[in-house]
Amino acid sequence: MDKMLLGRYINGESLIHHLDPRGKLFLSFYFIVIVFLCNNWQTYVLMAAMVMLFVKLSDISLGFFIKGVRPLIWLILFTVLLQIFFSSGGEVFWHWGPFTITDQGLINGVFVFCRFVLIIFMSTLLTLTTTPIEISDGLESLLKPLTKIKVPVYEIALMLSIALRFVPTLMDETTKIMNAQRARGVNFGEGNLLKQIKSVIPLLIPLFVSSFNRAEDLATAMEARGYHGGEGRTKYRKQEWRKNDTLAVILFIALTVTLIFLRN
Amino acid sequence: MVKSIHIEKLNYVYQSGTPFSHRALTDVSLDIEAGSYTAIIGHTGSGKSTLLQHLNGLLKPTSGNLTVAGNHITSETKNKELNELRHHVGFVFQFPEAQLFEETVLKDIAFAPKNFGKSDEEAEQIAAKMATLVGLPDSVLDSSPFELSGGQMRRVAIAGVLAMEPQILVLDEPTAGLDPKGRLEMMEMFEQLHQEQHLTIILVTHQMNDVANYADHVVVMENGGLIADSTPQQVFSDPDWLHKHHLGLPQTTAFAAKLAQQGVPFDTLPLTEKQLAEKLAELMPQSGGELHG
Repeated sequence: MDKMLLGRYINGESLIHHLDPRGKLFLSFYFIVIVFLCNNWQTYVLMAAMVMLFVKLSDISLGFFIKGVRPLIWLILFTVLLQIFFSSGGEVFWHWGPFTITDQGLINGVFVFCRFVLIIFMSTLLTLTTTPIEISDGLESLLKPLTKIKVPVYEIALMLSIALRFVPTLMDETTKIMNAQRARGVNFGEGNLLKQIKSVIPLLIPLFVSSFNRAEDLATAMEARGYHGGEGRTKYRKQEWRKNDTLAVILFIALTVTLIFLRN
Repeated sequence: MVKSIHIEKLNYVYQSGTPFSHRALTDVSLDIEAGSYTAIIGHTGSGKSTLLQHLNGLLKPTSGNLTVAGNHITSETKNKELNELRHHVGFVFQFPEAQLFEETVLKDIAFAPKNFGKSDEEAEQIAAKMATLVGLPDSVLDSSPFELSGGQMRRVAIAGVLAMEPQILVLDEPTAGLDPKGRLEMMEMFEQLHQEQHLTIILVTHQMNDVANYADHVVVMENGGLIADSTPQQVFSDPDWLHKHHLGLPQTTAFAAKLAQQGVPFDTLPLTEKQLAEKLAELMPQSGGELHG
């Protein structure tokens, strides 16, 4: 459980840490879009250089980013192998039944691998340098226009920030209950499938019970502090758009233009 | 004396080999005798819980080794072998009521013995016995554990651990969040188990009064290492040292220390109210005599 990197935030004072979360969120999504503009070596090298620059600027060691790739490694390998074995076109190196390896396929495989790694690095960068609360605030203000079509953006943002805040708490709770049941003789992850599924019950039931208790306590505590819902509430955490944020946007525009140039 | 627990140069590093790696225990060596009542005290984050989790194999040492109830554990011990160990070590976690899950109280208490190979009938017999032992009325045995009060849930959880019939009972702040009456009853119950069934008890607590009243061996931890391993008498004899390590005195000892400052001649500082009363009674005739003489 401790090894999960998803949603981890690492405290820091770097340039990237101080960017406006709205900008960071938007640019991270935008990055995923423009990754698909890449279709040759030059473009991938440019994007990789870009990502490396951001990693450098974030003052976080490369190890964290590589750890971020690890949970998805099977998906990545699967996709890469699919590309390598089932692509057609170009010079054929090897052929057996439905499998063919062509130079085009190999190149595609490498490109797909790069694409995955770039996207994962970028999203890891977002979560490592932005606190969950900033992310949910950022999302709230990015989604604001949707209030026009009656989407309850405020409630969604509140749900999101509560959910994010309780992820670590629930993780701790899970570890605790697992330990307590282990001490009573439950073996998690051992035996046949049916046995393994059965062993989850002593974990899930207490977890549900404590989540509902927690929810009730939290709701009462929020009401006791005068919460009535989104209407008329003010914001304590203000987001500020600074010069660096504008620079980041300009950088991304320049990047897009260059990519379009380099594309073939 | 027979050693129940023998710990040698135990080191533990959380998330070893990752960027989050964090050292929790450093070269801990400790012996605990069978049938003793050991209290582990120390500031929050001093490594008490980490040490406890080694005792039933929830954590395996990063280096060093330990022997618990005849089971030898090193960093290479397989998970399969740990099950045997867990059978002998009952572990009451902080707020153990969070572990309840069965439909009825009886079933929940019988859960552990069933896991360790007892038949259903045997397990339920033990469960009923343990329910009485922890002071649960028969009327609640068939109700859901989630309908009970917090204090009763705690008893059910503790009964569930005792039902494993362990040789070693590890208690991590078993009375946290209980009212004074519940606390006293709970501590007396553990004391009774200790006396009658000769259980080895290991208690982690911030309640110095409990340490003074029940323990015969005190281990003080700081920053992942042991800084004292001795009797309560010895540990509580130096208030300044305790203060320096952010620990307090039992109320009785604190009071006696104040009396000592005023000139009452104690040879050793008393730990319990009874000891204090006896010491004072001893001193009385003398001082009385002086007044009249």
